[in-house]
Amino acid sequence: MDPDAVAKAFVDHYYSTFDANRAGLGNLYQEGSMLTFEGQKIQGSQSIVAKLTSLPFQQCKHNITTVDCQPSGAGGVLVFVSGTLQLAGEQHALKFSQMFHLMPTPQGSFYVLNDIFRLNYA
Amino acid sequence: MDPDAVAKAFVEHYYSTFDANRAGLANLYQEGSMLTFEGQKIQGSQNIVAKLTSLPFQQCKHNITTVDCQPSGSGGMLVFVSGTLQLAGEQHALKFSQVIFSMASASFPFSISRTSMFSYLIDLWLIYCCRC
Repeated sequence: MDPDAVAKAFVDHYYSTFDANRAGLGNLYQEGSMLTFEGQKIQGSQSIVAKLTSLPFQQCKHNITTVDCQPSGAGGVLVFVSGTLQLAGEQHALKFSQMFHLMPTPQGSFYVLNDIFRLNYA
Repeated sequence: MDPDAVAKAFVEHYYSTFDANRAGLANLYQEGSMLTFEGQKIQGSQNIVAKLTSLPFQQCKHNITTVDCQPSGSGGMLVFVSGTLQLAGEQHALKFSQVIFSMASASFPFSISRTSMFSYLIDLWLIYCCRC
């Protein structure tokens, strides 16, 4: 398993799904998955997708600036992303950082065990 | 122990050690520890400390804005920190984000056995706002 390849494929898939259809992120999380979104803690795939689909904007576009990854042990991959988030109708893009801890599934893919998202303010 | 309290104590220890004496970070890392610093990958306590102590500034001060943490794996803790880094003599502080994956060890309450990813963010928002 090449962590860089896993990270790149995951990041491409995650943000394109987020931007096209947030509900489609459901199968990337499991019961024990955790999301901390701007300080708010949420657990479990259903609650996480409910949070993401209820965010107060319809359309958005993520532009990824940096992706760093490291193997985390037990076959997992840590991914650290920075970039900007452009909301439809907003003049300025928001800067964000997000980290994921991906764990392998028996089927040979990866799911998100840990997810932490923060906007970067001036 | 409360994970948030552990994360908070760890963050305070890590950055106060970094700002006072970077060489003192050595016992937080082990052989299998990994640091990615601005895209550069480094492995092992000795190499990591060599990198941190060779950074091109003498004095610095980290100011922590946010700390998020989650349990991960068996006994592991993920900590996500954002803040600013003030270098002595520089007018503007640098913004940074750092992810630390920490595994508890018996001999020392915190040890970064796996991961520390460090990425500096230049403060583009501040530069933009100054031009308004």
